[in-house]
Amino acid sequence: MTTRAAAYAHHAPDAPWRVLAGAQRYRLGNIHVDRAEMLRYLGYTGQDIDEDLARRIERVAQEVEQTLEPHGVSQVFGVDTHARTAAGAPCVRLVGTVVELTGNDIRRHLEGACAVALLAVTLGMESERRLRTLAATKPVEAALFDAAASAHVEAAADAVDAAITADAARAGLVRNGRFSCGYGDCPLSAQGPIIDALDARRALGITVTESCLLVPSKSITALIGLFERGDEVQDASRTCAHCALKEGCAFRARGERCWRQANSVQED
Amino acid sequence: MTRDLARALKGESHLLFDGGMGTMLQEAGLAAGETPELWCLTHPEEVRAIHRAYVEAGSDVITTNTFGANRLKLDGKATVEEVFSAAVACARAAGARYVAGDIGPTGALLRPLGTLSFDDAYELFAEEARAAAAAGADLFIIETMTDLLEAKAALLACRENTDLPIIATMTFGEDGRTFLGTSPEVAAVTLDALGADAVGINCSLGPSELLGLAKRMLAVTEKPLLVQANAGLPHVEGERTVYDIGPESYAESVRALVDAGVGIIGGCCGTTPAYIRLLGEVIKDRAPAPRHIERALTATSAQSIVNLPVGAGHIAVIGERINPTGKKRLQQALREGDIDYVVGMGISQQEQGADVLDVNIGLPEIDEARLLPEVVERLCASVSLPLMLDSSDPVALEAACRRYPGKPIINSVNGSRESLEAILPIAARYGANVVALTLDETGIPRTAEERLAIARRIVEAAKQAGIGSERILVDCLAMTVSTDQSQAAQTLKAMGLVKRELGVFTTLGVSNISFGLPQRPLINSTFLSAAFGAGLDAPILNPATERYRDVVRTWRVLNAEDTGAEQFIGHYAAWLDPYQHPGKGAIGDGATTRQPEGTAAAAKTSSTLRELVISGRRGDTARCVAEQLKHHDPLEIINDELIPALDEVGDRFEAGTYFLPQLMASAEAARAGFDTIRDVMPARATTDKGAICLATVKGDIHDIGKNIVKMLLENYGYTVFDLGRDVAPERVLDCVRAHGIQLVGLSALMTTTVKSMEATIELLRREAPGTKVFVGGAVLTPEYAKMIGADFYAKDAAESARIAAEVLSS
Repeated sequence: MTTRAAAYAHHAPDAPWRVLAGAQRYRLGNIHVDRAEMLRYLGYTGQDIDEDLARRIERVAQEVEQTLEPHGVSQVFGVDTHARTAAGAPCVRLVGTVVELTGNDIRRHLEGACAVALLAVTLGMESERRLRTLAATKPVEAALFDAAASAHVEAAADAVDAAITADAARAGLVRNGRFSCGYGDCPLSAQGPIIDALDARRALGITVTESCLLVPSKSITALIGLFERGDEVQDASRTCAHCALKEGCAFRARGERCWRQANSVQED
Repeated sequence: MTRDLARALKGESHLLFDGGMGTMLQEAGLAAGETPELWCLTHPEEVRAIHRAYVEAGSDVITTNTFGANRLKLDGKATVEEVFSAAVACARAAGARYVAGDIGPTGALLRPLGTLSFDDAYELFAEEARAAAAAGADLFIIETMTDLLEAKAALLACRENTDLPIIATMTFGEDGRTFLGTSPEVAAVTLDALGADAVGINCSLGPSELLGLAKRMLAVTEKPLLVQANAGLPHVEGERTVYDIGPESYAESVRALVDAGVGIIGGCCGTTPAYIRLLGEVIKDRAPAPRHIERALTATSAQSIVNLPVGAGHIAVIGERINPTGKKRLQQALREGDIDYVVGMGISQQEQGADVLDVNIGLPEIDEARLLPEVVERLCASVSLPLMLDSSDPVALEAACRRYPGKPIINSVNGSRESLEAILPIAARYGANVVALTLDETGIPRTAEERLAIARRIVEAAKQAGIGSERILVDCLAMTVSTDQSQAAQTLKAMGLVKRELGVFTTLGVSNISFGLPQRPLINSTFLSAAFGAGLDAPILNPATERYRDVVRTWRVLNAEDTGAEQFIGHYAAWLDPYQHPGKGAIGDGATTRQPEGTAAAAKTSSTLRELVISGRRGDTARCVAEQLKHHDPLEIINDELIPALDEVGDRFEAGTYFLPQLMASAEAARAGFDTIRDVMPARATTDKGAICLATVKGDIHDIGKNIVKMLLENYGYTVFDLGRDVAPERVLDCVRAHGIQLVGLSALMTTTVKSMEATIELLRREAPGTKVFVGGAVLTPEYAKMIGADFYAKDAAESARIAAEVLSS
């Protein structure tokens, strides 16, 4: 089947992915803050940490675990990788939503996909309040909390991601890597439509600023391509090749990447 | 029994709203994330058909399809007027008896956590309110609010721009709070105080889950309640989202709500005309029972409520620390716009057990009308206690009251005509409580009876203004006993009189009593005990004072507020009574006495100050500096110990032997050292090296990097004006001009916000040439920095200190 014909088949009412349609909600208790991940966000490369600092790091990690319960939503939509925006630009459209994703990377990522799982997770507004409070009063704890919360919300996204993998497998589908707005040349401007399509404001309390940033800032939206056959799977989720931050990146300067490399695909 | 809007809003009749709109529009083909409100213009037939189905099911009130019809969300696709006009027409054409103009959240988050200002939110809502009224709506339904401040903006916008009745509901999660932490009690009390005609709950949970929340609202307001529950929780069936509660069991659960006292009912997500039809059966031929609640003093923040029922004898402690009188460090912070310092004072008082915070920033050179709302906004991001807004400037009080997310206390009005005329209208307009000082044009009367007379005059004037006595805290004024010993008794007597005669609450600034005497805490705490005995409800005091806290904890046993003396026992069971254990430092935190941090290290006398800073030991650093100050000149300590230590840490960070938290811990330790020096030295005399303005640019809210830079620069002795995040270019320019700034630091984390950085630099180049600019943030590179016109690129905080040295030493 040609790509184009396959895409039409994916839109058929009896396409296999349809069994996954419908919004899912997640309460993600019992997620642990990955201490190594937290340290990595703080630029840790094996320095000696004395007892006092170790205690402070641990206290903040525990606070994040004990006081913040991540929540998430996901929903599977059909996808058209050869759509055009109203202005005529090529884009990827999630069928039945107003989400249009421009740029080459997302199209490469989803080429041949039969559907897309869209997800959002957040640590909630209390995480934002706590960040503001610490920033005003305890700068060291603020930096630690920021890193712990980043690790925590990533782990929450992983948990939703794992649920989607399991659902996809049950439907006989294969998935690719998690892709977010801002990766490569995919603009942040799709954040608002993604939040709207998931009704994540009402479901999770996530809001989008005029400059397309999410508040609470410890929130993630992402999409995962679903494929009917393993050999169709594309993946452009995690490469530095088109990253806007590539040049001044502190992670790259240390020979690292900002994502966990265990999950990564072939590097550029 | 005929149902009727006017009577329903008096609690005399039931009223039936409609059910879900969004779910039905989706069935009709609305795409996920599409703007549903535009369907009023593009698909009026479909919208009318949904309304008609609800009219036929028996809805008295039809809600317009305008939930998100504000300028922000419509985004130029249609005007607010067009949508409301079409929406009201759809409802009318469907045969609606009453049309409720629907107002949902703006979709943007308000400051301080978000970026939308209260005034901008108000303008968005006002535009909707005027459009709805012009289109002929009969009432407003403000709904699905999760931010109390946003709900307040909407309510004021409707109230101040139209004469229509207003119902306001908020949405709570399973934890019984909104996403922003507001409880049902706080919502009900605050929305009631702001003049909503009915309050309530909608969305998110099913009707049986909402019963408990509704009861909590019913307990604190006499206003009618509207409850619009979801049809349970959504789940997936095939490719459809369905809700798990059917019409019959939904109606049964709503019957329980009505039995509990809910007067106005309807549905939310997942409900359909089939549900509404059955709800009509529930309220057929019945009327709500009259409800009465106990009178109480209530003050709220978005996160908490102080509730003192009349006659219960409970107390609330008002923390007095945020007041610059006699506090040099706070005065300096306010002059420099260092609001973080004020926030820190708020947080510590909250931790010390205050129930309300007094906020006074009055200094001759400060524009309170501008700064008070800003300080209040910042406090509300971090402190959860209700605030007492304290100013002699009515303009500042109004500005702060209007933008305060809750029901505040105003401090204060007095018996003078001028004061009554200026302050009472503000308290009335915003539903605030007010402190009434028993003084007037002629001064403070000497006798209890004369003070009662003034209090009576204030209470009567307040009543004329619509302010009930339960909203008044009379301050009978504690006078200095060292001047006139007879006065303490008069104050106590007056308190008893005003409570008995006027049914008001009482407050008192306790520590005035002891001026000029030794061992002031002893006099103060004894007077506090006596004042509690005389009927004091809300003492204004410093909650850091252990003697006060002892009296407060003990009184709460004696007035039966601390049930089973549980708190008292928890606190004092392991306490060492200082009379029996002198010299043990036992007037500490009792059971929770804190170990001084790093005691073991402190014992090592060999540690030099420099080593302490390098290893990031703030407690030891402060002690070591205090010790050295006995023998050394402060400048010597700074230049020979603290600054070289910071340089060393910077080098280690540069070399990668230190990572960020270590750099910051050292900066924090050095800061503790500088603070110790500053306590004994005239402010700035030792350290002023020049001023720097820092800002995270417009549109960007990631400010952690900027905060680290700030911390380091302050340590090197620069005065930092931190403008915060999401800062417009004009504000940077204003700061540069106001303080003659030569160096500006800008941060941006996103590619999208570097544009604002460029705009800020451009403005500075044009309007303040000669100002140097350094930039930093994840997306920047030296080349990029040059391209947008910056003078320097700071790859990290240590680099920014080097740049500052280069620019400001020359």
